[in-house]
Amino acid sequence: MTFSLKRTLAIFQKDYKDVSKNMYVSFTVIVPLLMAFLYGMQGDMGVDMVYTVINMSLSLVGAYIQCSLIAEEKEKNTLRGLMLSPASTLEILAGKSLLTFVTTILVIVFSAMIIDYQPENIVIVGVAIALSTLFYIGLGTILGLVTKSVMEASVVIMPFFFLFTFGSYATLLAERFPVLKAAEYMPNTQLIELAKEVQTGAGFGDIWSYLAVICVWIAAVFILSYVTFKKRMMD
Amino acid sequence: MTILSFNNIEKHDGHTIVFPSFQLSIESGEIVGLMTSINVRTVLLEMLRRKIPVPDQAIAIDGKSIQQLGKSYHQRVGILSIDDGLYERLTVKESLLFYHRLFDSKLPIDGILQLTQLEAKRNVRISKLTFSEKRRVHYAQLLLSDPDIYILEEADQNVDLETKRVLMKVVQELQKNNKAVFVLTSNMDSALAVTNTIYRLDEHGLHKLDVMQQEMEPEDEAVEEEPIVQPVRFEKIPTKVNEKIILFDPPEIDYIESSEGSSQLYIKGDMYQSMFTLNELEQRLLPYGFYRCHRSYIVNLQKVREVITWTRNSYSLVLHDQSSIPLSKTKMAELKEMLGLK
Repeated sequence: MTFSLKRTLAIFQKDYKDVSKNMYVSFTVIVPLLMAFLYGMQGDMGVDMVYTVINMSLSLVGAYIQCSLIAEEKEKNTLRGLMLSPASTLEILAGKSLLTFVTTILVIVFSAMIIDYQPENIVIVGVAIALSTLFYIGLGTILGLVTKSVMEASVVIMPFFFLFTFGSYATLLAERFPVLKAAEYMPNTQLIELAKEVQTGAGFGDIWSYLAVICVWIAAVFILSYVTFKKRMMD
Repeated sequence: MTILSFNNIEKHDGHTIVFPSFQLSIESGEIVGLMTSINVRTVLLEMLRRKIPVPDQAIAIDGKSIQQLGKSYHQRVGILSIDDGLYERLTVKESLLFYHRLFDSKLPIDGILQLTQLEAKRNVRISKLTFSEKRRVHYAQLLLSDPDIYILEEADQNVDLETKRVLMKVVQELQKNNKAVFVLTSNMDSALAVTNTIYRLDEHGLHKLDVMQQEMEPEDEAVEEEPIVQPVRFEKIPTKVNEKIILFDPPEIDYIESSEGSSQLYIKGDMYQSMFTLNELEQRLLPYGFYRCHRSYIVNLQKVREVITWTRNSYSLVLHDQSSIPLSKTKMAELKEMLGLK
């Protein structure tokens, strides 16, 4: 089985046209930008606030678009047509992930421009955000595989949206509830910590542990989505 | 050249037989219709989609078992299902363009738009099309994938006349290009519209239906004058469906009903128009164990399961397939005698 870039790009283009006409999904792209605009008006934000918006973009755009792209194919009975085509599952998922990835990165870049966020080391932050996007795409894939319709997908995504957008505040309560110390290892918290370090002028050598934790999350989520896929495709 | 072949494939579901072992092969350039119940059709399609495992060599493409074919199977076999979906937000052209690239098709999109009569709708969103037009988009997508065998499930169900004509044209075109077409339907009409080779598959097995094209050429006057002498006794009952004549074996018939001056044959719940009157049919069918149980009914006694007495004067016969037909009072006595009850 050879991986065909042509088929992947065909799926990418088809999904791009489809999503751009889907108000329901494209509206979610606006939300983080709107938040960025509102926060940006207040002026002078801390890294924490900036990353609330970025984490929101990641979970709402990254995970949700991926999830609804897959769920809609199932809802409209078009996924079967794709499976009966020469395109392999990997190509189908790659085409969709590519669209989600590009959209998420664009939303984050625009949000950062609106709130005027300038990281000290753009390469490190860029790598960290790209890796985080991969994690959220994996998460969206799992949720897309378990849900049956876009409606269901938009409900299921909500707890994850709150967890990953506002979950980082849990660390503030960690002194009172030691259990919440675990929240420090969440991918969103790791991203914030990393950004804080970068703002103080840290280089790659200082922040590799954060990237490693995010990579562990990515590996976990991709293994889980593979398992889910194998299970779901059997029935 | 045989494209698709079923070799001694069978399916049981618990204690019931979905279909017993049968053999069927479809050559390239051949159009085969298969009449089945929805149950059988669903199972067959799941097998063809490789969702249900089948024994090795049970279903073969070019003599190769379908499990061994891998992804290339999808380039050989195109399946049109009744519940296929469409990308409703894309326009017809965008959607076809997508399939064109997905299948790496060599066929021109314009030609296919023309064949399926969608040129006028090429820039319309699919969600704005009528049901029949959406069906035509399905045909177009299937044509783009350009397989060797087309499997069509209820391809013309609920569509308008234009779409039916398009389908007939498409199938003719495919036959010309030496492709095989396998039509799965539960409706005799839709199978007859595209082919004369029709089989029926049910729990009793696979049977070929005899279909004759009605002679269109005018017959010689002289021949018509001659008295018609039947050299051998003809033991099949002709029925008429549209322009075609279908012949049934008498044992297949459940019962015959007369309504508004014409007689109708009931076979497995389907109704067929007969060309004979009830009296003529009674004469022909008497040797096969048929019985005139009512002024307007003839029943196949082999199929009767139960005699129900409603009141002293009203009776009915219940057949194997649960249909019930009336039995008149005077005939009840006769029937009892035939059964040796008196």
